[in-house]
Amino acid sequence: MNPEGRYRIRRFSLTQRIFHLLLILCFLTQGATGLARLYIETNWGRSLAWIFSGYESCRTIHIIVGILMILGLLVHGCYILYKLNWRRFPFSLLNPDSILPHPRDIKQFFQHIGWFLGLAKAPRFERWNYFEKFDYWAVFWGMFILGGTGLLLAFPLTASRLIPGWGLNVAFWAHRIEALLALCHVFIIHFFIGHLRRQNFPMDRSMFEGSVDLTAARHEKSAWVTRLEETDSLEEFLVLEVSSTRQAFFYFLGYIFLAAGVYLLIGGLLNIFKITW
Amino acid sequence: MLIFLLILPDLLTAQEEIASSIRRYKEREVSTGFYEEYEVRPQRQRPLLGVPGISRGIFPYSPSAARVRNRSRLADSHWGLKFYERRRCEECHIRETKDLHTVRANLTCRQCHGLEPIAGLKHYYSPYNPIRRHAYVCAKCHEGASVSFASYLVHTPNPALLSTQKSFPILFYLFWIMIAVAAGTFALFLPLTVLWGFRELFIKKEKVKEEIEEESEKVIEEPEEVIEEIGEEGEGEGEGKRIKTRKIQKYKRRRSKDEPGRQV
Repeated sequence: MNPEGRYRIRRFSLTQRIFHLLLILCFLTQGATGLARLYIETNWGRSLAWIFSGYESCRTIHIIVGILMILGLLVHGCYILYKLNWRRFPFSLLNPDSILPHPRDIKQFFQHIGWFLGLAKAPRFERWNYFEKFDYWAVFWGMFILGGTGLLLAFPLTASRLIPGWGLNVAFWAHRIEALLALCHVFIIHFFIGHLRRQNFPMDRSMFEGSVDLTAARHEKSAWVTRLEETDSLEEFLVLEVSSTRQAFFYFLGYIFLAAGVYLLIGGLLNIFKITW
Repeated sequence: MLIFLLILPDLLTAQEEIASSIRRYKEREVSTGFYEEYEVRPQRQRPLLGVPGISRGIFPYSPSAARVRNRSRLADSHWGLKFYERRRCEECHIRETKDLHTVRANLTCRQCHGLEPIAGLKHYYSPYNPIRRHAYVCAKCHEGASVSFASYLVHTPNPALLSTQKSFPILFYLFWIMIAVAAGTFALFLPLTVLWGFRELFIKKEKVKEEIEEESEKVIEEPEEVIEEIGEEGEGEGEGKRIKTRKIQKYKRRRSKDEPGRQV
């Protein structure tokens, strides 16, 4: 540890970072196996399927990892319930630290647009801004649709006892469109805002390291830092920067994931007209 | 987790997808699988659907009679088609060759529809009649298929087409709702991403190291105050704690000078 290094403010706990890492691994696996099957008519799809030892194996891996993701979501649900401040419930849901959507998010969204256009001052974001909240809850929405339809499609004989068989046609299309939406959103919007925009370039390490630079946080999330200072609780959140070796490892890991996502995105877009939809 | 896994049906037994035309289907079939060599040519008989004045063309009886709904009750659904024995399925049934069973699982038409004559879907003795389709057709590969399972549309219509609104309305509406959700998400966030990225090109990127150095200089300029703070908080504790305390005080002082939220 370098005591003269930058001071950073803790943003994600170790548990939250592990959840995110597992989500990255599962999401990329699901994306790769799913696209391998969707694009199996093309050379790109076949080469992708080859990594997972073929078309049929892709389905097996897709199902197993999908079930792990559903279990992960259930565990995350338990984690939320455990972390919730039940003494002050339901007022704790309105806490500024809460990631639940708040009316001020709508106001800040428009203010942010105004700032982009030079019409307004930059909004003073709290710990979670509107975009981060959307990203977080979009996973729940996606998991609900993809997990639900995925289970129906993974076990069609059992599913057809619960719903009519033609429901599988509907589930298939819902699964396909939602999956493509999730992939494109993460590989274009999430990647760019999270890592590639100027303030975060070359990579935002906070999800790996758990902390963000205090000076950067003061500018990007001024309401949060101000609140911590006013309540004299900033000290609890201050941490030292990790070693250069660990930073290098985080960059390496992050760029591996980033490259995998971009590879899937570009391959998918280039071959989009070569497959039977 | 274990209980959840126990609740789930068996993973890959009867519900396995039949994706290979070599390994799976032909394992269970008696014939060689080379169907075209064994086709039975249909009888050259005219159906009882003729209409006066129409006697030429591929469908010499009635244009509408060529549709499945009119031929679906015939014992030979291709009965009376001219040059039928020289034609291939995909010449007329183009859409039916563009689905998962044909494109992905590499099944040929004959593997499901069987040899000639191919009975209409609703003919009483047809293997495709819904009363026995699950057992005669689906269960060849999907062992244990039920009547409900057999209602899955193998030849799924294109969900985007207006014609699907009539033939499979739920699929049509779900498709367009999902497309609207996806389009809405991108219509909202893609321009936002572009604007965000573009706007940040015109702001000063935080140069943290430089600011820290500037702050260090300021601290040196105010040695008495810093020493006092360290004396209050730092004594008897670790070096890290002393430094942290000093930094907090620095940031507090600076906050009073800088307006929070400044991004430009």
